[in-house]
Formats: sequence, structure tokens, C-alpha cells
Amino acid sequence: MRTFVAVAIFGGGIAHATLGPALRIADVAPDIPLIMVVLLALRRGPEFGCGAGFVAGLLQDAASGGLIGVQALTKALIGFAIGALGGRLRVSQPLVQVPGLVLLTIAEGLSRFALLKLFRFPAPFGELMTYVVLPQALYNGFLGAALVLALAWAESTRPRTRTS
Amino acid sequence: MLLTLQMRGSIAGASDVLAVVTTPIQSVLARVNRATVGVWSTYREWKNVRAENRRLREEAQRLRVEALRVTETVEENQRLRRLLALKEAMPLTTLSGEVIAREWGGWVRSLTVNRGRADHVSRLTAVIGPDGLIGRVVDVRPGASIVQVLTDPASTVGAVVVRTRTQGIVEGEPRGTLRFKYMAREGSSIQVGDLVVTSGAGGLFPRGIPVGRVRAIDDRGSALFHYAQLTPAVEFARIDEVLLVVGEGSHDVAALFPGATPGASD
Repeated sequence: MRTFVAVAIFGGGIAHATLGPALRIADVAPDIPLIMVVLLALRRGPEFGCGAGFVAGLLQDAASGGLIGVQALTKALIGFAIGALGGRLRVSQPLVQVPGLVLLTIAEGLSRFALLKLFRFPAPFGELMTYVVLPQALYNGFLGAALVLALAWAESTRPRTRTS
Repeated sequence: MLLTLQMRGSIAGASDVLAVVTTPIQSVLARVNRATVGVWSTYREWKNVRAENRRLREEAQRLRVEALRVTETVEENQRLRRLLALKEAMPLTTLSGEVIAREWGGWVRSLTVNRGRADHVSRLTAVIGPDGLIGRVVDVRPGASIVQVLTDPASTVGAVVVRTRTQGIVEGEPRGTLRFKYMAREGSSIQVGDLVVTSGAGGLFPRGIPVGRVRAIDDRGSALFHYAQLTPAVEFARIDEVLLVVGEGSHDVAALFPGATPGASD
């Protein structure tokens, strides 16, 4: 429950809207909630991933002023899918994490674009993919892998800290 | 005995003999003493210099932070002065607001401003800054409003080229740039560097607010519409304070912005 609340608050739109711009590189900002959702879904399974994705996406929608529910739906789907597939994939290797997060971001971008097109989203597909989705996917991939490695390192040092 | 012999002058060179032995020793001792004192004083000086160096470093660090704070305050002061000057000169009812969050992902480009329903902000309120148009309010909440920035892919604004009076529409693009879409026959004389301002058509935005400058022209031959790439008048990523036009917005405010009036030298 505590993790859930943490995801909702820090992984959601609030942290994204306030911290995201600070992490911009060449006008590309990472999708922090998506990375959080993927990491949580891999650890806690599809149901948790789906719920966390829904809450994080909903908050992100609310904070950005976009259509409420679009990212809630796409992130919930991504959370569920990665939670269900996580058990079958070897996701502990950065060589899997980086392309995995890149593909997931692209998948989320495609589903979001398809959904937004139903509501007459004016941006052209090619431009959106070139300038928004692909650069963000790469950024997410490396940032997510760095986070996974940092978490793994923190977990490996925890028992040693306790015994010392 | 030595004393007696000395007094009688029998061993006059005794002192000389002794001096031959003692003088080198004295010299060596004096040199050692000098060296020791020198090393000690050098050590003490080095220690003092080190302590002073540390103190000076700390002071330099503190002064650097202080200087940054002063620079930040001066910049904030200048920004607020410009905003206040604009607010006072505006023939419109405006409300100042502070940016508390930004969405910069490319899908949506928006700012969250700390003025909401309680401040009588309504949807589609124009949002401006000292350099030009920022966007419009798309969502009003109890304590905040979401401002759709001009570079948002869903943003469109009626605009006009100041020099040629060419009418068109400024659209946001996913890459964070602006595109001016105009009728081919009307825009034949548009040049790079031309200023584009709000046209005031539709009554949503006051007339004459700078939107951007023409950076490149995309001539599409015999096509009905041509396009021009614009450099935004406002640096959206660095906006911290804004003005919300909460009153009647159908005024011409071009005189408040340099170069925005027809015939003004840019």
C-alpha cells in the first residue's frame, strides 16, 4: 500500500511535471511515471502494474492538462502487460532493460497516438515519432536501466550495512 | 696549570688550538639550529597557509553562493519589474501568476500557474509575458490553471505579419517549434526576420502581441497554403511569471511591445 501511494505521488504526474523539465536533454524529457510503472510491474506482477499504471497515468493526465484518462489507460495496459510477461523474461540484464524500455515507450506512444486520434489529435504521426516518441524511448531506456542498476546496488549493500 | 701557563704566556696558541676544534663544531651547530628553526617556521607557515587557504576557499564558496543568490534575485527583480511595467501599461485587466509546474513531453506542452477558480480565471483566458504571447488557459482548478503553451501540438492562434499584414494561423509542432500557415498569394513578400503578432480575430487574444519571428519560409510552389517556421517570441522553458488577461481582451496592445506596430523599425 505504501509503495502504491509512493507511486501515485512521486511516480505520477506531480513529480513528472515538477522534476521532468529539470531532466530535459535537448528538449527531451523522460517519462518518469512509465519507468516507475514498468519497474513496479516487474517486481509486483500484472495486477499491481495495472493499478499503478492507472493511477500514475491519471495523475499525469490531470497535471498536464491533456485528455483525462488517456495515459491512465495506456499506462495501465503497459503495466499489466509487462507484469504478465515479466516472469518469462530475463530482465536483470541492462542489455534487456534498455531495449525493453525503449520498446515499451514506443508501444505506449503508439497506443496513446491511436487513442488521441479518436479525439482529433492534430500532430502528424511521423513528426511525433521522430521528435517525441523515439528520443523519449531512448532516454527512458537508459534512465530506467540506470535506475534498475542503482536499485540492485542499493539492495546488495543493504544486508552488509545491517551486519556492520 | 693551564691558567698559570696562559698567564705567563707560555702557551699563547692554546686558545687558537681550541678554536680550531670548536669553531667548525659551532658552525655546524649554528647551521643545524638555523635549519631546524627554518624548517619549523616553514612548517608553521605552511600550516597557517593551509588553514588560511581552507578558510579562503570556504569564504570563496560562500561568496559564490551569495553571488548566485544575488544574481538570481536581480534577475527575478528585473523579470518582475518588466512584468509589472507591462501590467501597468496594459489597457486590460490582468492578473499575475507564478509557474508551479511544466509539462514538456512533446505530446502536451503546458504550464501550471498558481491562479485558479478563486481568482476568477476562466477557460481560454489569454496568458502573456513581457516578451509576447505564452498561450491560453485550457483548464481551471480551485488553486491552479493549466496553460496550453503556443508550442503545444494542439495550439492554434490567429496571427498576422506586422510588415505585410499577411494573415495566417500559428500552430504548435511536436518538436516544440511554431509554424505559420498562410495563404500563398497573401504571403509572397514575407521575409526571414519578420515579426508575427496576434491578429485579434475571434476576440480571444488581444491584437498585437508578439508571437514569433520568421526563421525560414517553406515555399510550396503553387499550393494554396505556404508555411513559415517561427522562432517563438517567448522562451517558454524559462518562464517563471505570467500575466493572465482576465478582463475584456479585444484591445490592440501592439504599442506595448517593441516592433509590433506596423511601420515600426525592427
